[in-house]
Amino acid sequence: MFDAFFRALGRSRETRETESHSDDVRTDGGVADPAMAGEAEASSSSVLDSEFVQSLPFWGPPALLVGLFVYGAVAWNVLISLTDWSGLGQPEYENFDLSVYSQMLNDLLDPTSNFFVATRNTVALLVAFTVITLLLGLLLAILVDQGVRFENTFRTIYLLPMSLSFVVTAIFWSWMYNPSIGLINETLRTVGLGAFTQAWLSNPQFKLGAVIFALMWQFSGYAMIVYLAGLQAIPNEQYEAARTDGASTFRMYRRVVVPQLRSSTTSAAVVLMVFALKAFDFLFVMFGPNPGPSTDILSVMMFREAFMSTNWAYGSGIATVLFLMALGVIAPYLYRQYQRGEL
Amino acid sequence: MARLTLDSVTKRFDDVVAVDGVSVDIEDGEFLVLVGPSGCGKSTTLRMIAGLESISEGDIRLGQTSLSGKRPKERDIAMVFQSYALYPHMTVRENMSFGLEESTDLDDDTIRQKVEDAASMLDIDDLLGRKPDELSGGQQQRVALGRAIVRDPEVFLMDEPLSNLDAKLRAQMRTELQRIQENLDTTTVYVTHDQTEAMTMGDRIAILDGGHLQQVGTPLEVYHKPANRFVAGFIGEPSMNFFEMEVQGDRLVGDDFAYPLSEESRAAVEGSSHVTLGIRPEDVEVVEEGDGRHEFETVVDVVEPMGNENNVYLAFSPEREHSFVATVGGMRSVESGQPVVARFPESAIHLFDAETGAALKNRSLDELESSEPRL
Amino acid sequence: MSSNSGSWSESVNLRRVSVYGVLVVMVAFYLAPLETGLMTAFKTQNAFFSTTPFAPPPADGVTVQPWAAALDRLGPGVVNSLLFAVPATMLSALFGSMAAYGMTNLNWKYQVGVLSLFVAGVFIPYQSVLVPLTRFWSMVDVASLLAFIPPLADRAGLIELGVTHAAYGIPICTVLFRGYYLSLDDEMLEAARLDGASPARIYRKIVLPLSKPMFAVTLIYQFTNIWNDLLFALVLVSDPSNAPVTIALNTLKGSMVQQYNVQMAGAFIAALPTLVIYVLFGEQFAKGVAGET
Repeated sequence: MFDAFFRALGRSRETRETESHSDDVRTDGGVADPAMAGEAEASSSSVLDSEFVQSLPFWGPPALLVGLFVYGAVAWNVLISLTDWSGLGQPEYENFDLSVYSQMLNDLLDPTSNFFVATRNTVALLVAFTVITLLLGLLLAILVDQGVRFENTFRTIYLLPMSLSFVVTAIFWSWMYNPSIGLINETLRTVGLGAFTQAWLSNPQFKLGAVIFALMWQFSGYAMIVYLAGLQAIPNEQYEAARTDGASTFRMYRRVVVPQLRSSTTSAAVVLMVFALKAFDFLFVMFGPNPGPSTDILSVMMFREAFMSTNWAYGSGIATVLFLMALGVIAPYLYRQYQRGEL
Repeated sequence: MARLTLDSVTKRFDDVVAVDGVSVDIEDGEFLVLVGPSGCGKSTTLRMIAGLESISEGDIRLGQTSLSGKRPKERDIAMVFQSYALYPHMTVRENMSFGLEESTDLDDDTIRQKVEDAASMLDIDDLLGRKPDELSGGQQQRVALGRAIVRDPEVFLMDEPLSNLDAKLRAQMRTELQRIQENLDTTTVYVTHDQTEAMTMGDRIAILDGGHLQQVGTPLEVYHKPANRFVAGFIGEPSMNFFEMEVQGDRLVGDDFAYPLSEESRAAVEGSSHVTLGIRPEDVEVVEEGDGRHEFETVVDVVEPMGNENNVYLAFSPEREHSFVATVGGMRSVESGQPVVARFPESAIHLFDAETGAALKNRSLDELESSEPRL
Repeated sequence: MSSNSGSWSESVNLRRVSVYGVLVVMVAFYLAPLETGLMTAFKTQNAFFSTTPFAPPPADGVTVQPWAAALDRLGPGVVNSLLFAVPATMLSALFGSMAAYGMTNLNWKYQVGVLSLFVAGVFIPYQSVLVPLTRFWSMVDVASLLAFIPPLADRAGLIELGVTHAAYGIPICTVLFRGYYLSLDDEMLEAARLDGASPARIYRKIVLPLSKPMFAVTLIYQFTNIWNDLLFALVLVSDPSNAPVTIALNTLKGSMVQQYNVQMAGAFIAALPTLVIYVLFGEQFAKGVAGET
């Protein structure tokens, strides 16, 4: 017993000595023996390489497609916007200039120009649509989160419009907005508000508002889903604690719950704003390529300039502006996600 | 043949050194336990052996062959994970066959035979057709073991395999794992943060702290001959009592008491001005009264009855917050507030350098055979 | 005391009732356009001019003729949409799953950079690629490349549309799958590596079988997106015989301005596949919608 014990002890001392020896090697090894360090680096980077090589077949082909179709196309689009291509011919990739963009800048100073009007409407749509959709979505989420029966059914119904094509919803809402026999005006007349009936889709005062209202109908279910996820992440104890503190329901939501939904609001707002920038199908089906100054937006104008009027360079210019606007919305968002390690 | 050698193994993550020059030789068939507090580098060490992490410096050899640069599948190593890591969409049989199908050219019949042999060894024959989510935690644990055993590897690696089991099952599996390892005689490296597992299971224990290897030795060795204060405090439950003392001639003087030293102990602390005095709770003798050189008047603060024994927390005076633990027999009645005398026999004390923590003097081994480690 | 608790429970009841009240009013709001449309689609021309839009058709004004008329116009469009939407959906889901695996469960340098480009790709407006896209497909002339297989050459527009949609669907599918793959047990994948499986085998034998629920989400969400799109079809499909259902429906609306009953029937026919999928798999669709953020 004792023999074995001391033998083992000896061995452990040996081990300790080796260790302290290796410590010495390590402390000055970085300087005194760079060859060894280099070797270690090389072997570890070859491991990385092989993982990189093995991962390539998986993300390579999709990345190629995305690179080509998305980013390649975006770059190509910028290139086209620098030419003076119009009409039926081919673009000529020489004599690049910024004439398209200087024309846009000039237009921005002229409140009657198409570009100015479309930009103004795009911004108005973006802001108003995002705000009211978020508000309605939040209201729906709070209501559905009250532990009501048939919660799933309510949720399913509110989200239903999101599954429909804009072509379909534009047709529904054209019918809803019909001035003589549409449901909106019929309802107003029934409840004695006949004075408020409007030719919603032809009166320039209400056109954009009518579009925003219909889009809110379609997207508020989405905002609700995002908010519901946020609400359900808040621990029940917090509601109970706020109740114990004597907070009224309204105050509890305003002071305790809504502040915790900030990240839900941000991510839903990003998606809604980007959608507002590219909203096209709905307006195009409702009003055709020329919605008129009260409802013209950049994405429709881009289509009209490029594909109807064959002002390809100018259309690409507008497309570049839309891309930059979208980038302005998503870049800060993605950067923040990256910083929080949530990418 | 399957001697596993860690040679100055170092792992850096960016600027952080997770494992710092660890060297251990693990004999063929040996059961080595890597133990240490969380973040000490034990799992990283294991993952480097498995090939799941690259080695920044140093080398790991199996027999004569270096493992660095080899892929996990080329290492002939099987690992049992803390989360069991079973494939949820496969039956137990498929879980156990997967490794053989992927890493060998065995035909289906041989694989089936091997899986069934391993299953019967682990007593999970009946579960072969089930999926992991239909199994209890203990059964999943066995399947995870079976998946490693069926590969018949040169080395088993186990990363806290029992930590997700409840206390009773854990004790049971501990014994069973030891039995299996002894039968198979496969070199095993076992990682745990639980010193009880380390003491009961390991042929030898390697204690890591802050990426540094503190000591390698048999359970008794690290218990009675800790290389430093960290090992002394980490191994043993309740922990060793420590007192900070100043060396004054032939005495150690602390805040609460002074401890006269024999000639031998004096020689050991030669050159140190401050030392830490350590004594295990079971070595503290609680007596009614006495006036010996190593006896101190104390007051009982709290008594924790454990059944077979009592952990008694003693304070040098009722006002002092600092208390220390003594273990006394379970039948002995000690009450809170009662004045008692504590004796620290000089043969049982450990002395550590206050600065480096290195052991200057360990307890004498005369009574070794009579004193069992307490866990 | 008892009166206190009485008023308390009364106020709770009042609260519950008003919650349900608002919820039901909102149900009416969300379903009104659909209900109105459905009723109108069964009415004769005279009936929908003379009745309230949401009221059921009067006995003498019931007809299925609008459905027949709409189906006649939209039938080929439905077939065309199926022809490109189904393969495009499957392709983008598969590519998305592969990309997510390669960038989530395998580790290599700069993968965050590549991943960011995928995520940003979800948000890029189609408008900013439309002109180059038409240039690209006029240079890569699918029709003449496939001239030796006439049935495919005739469908060149649909092939172009399908490839384009598959490519643009990859980013969102990658994001959806990545969220799921992040939740896979790392130790399980490491166990498979130690079991000797290569990354390709791990994908094939472990990850892919475990991805079934996510494939359901992705396929449903992506099919709905592709089926519903108008813009790409508008600029890529020139041959009317290749027009998908969204184009056919838009044309129908333009040519039957006053025939709301036919328009509504057409809208329902075009929406039917996505509606059926939504009713059956609403949960998966909701996950897809939520995964976009």
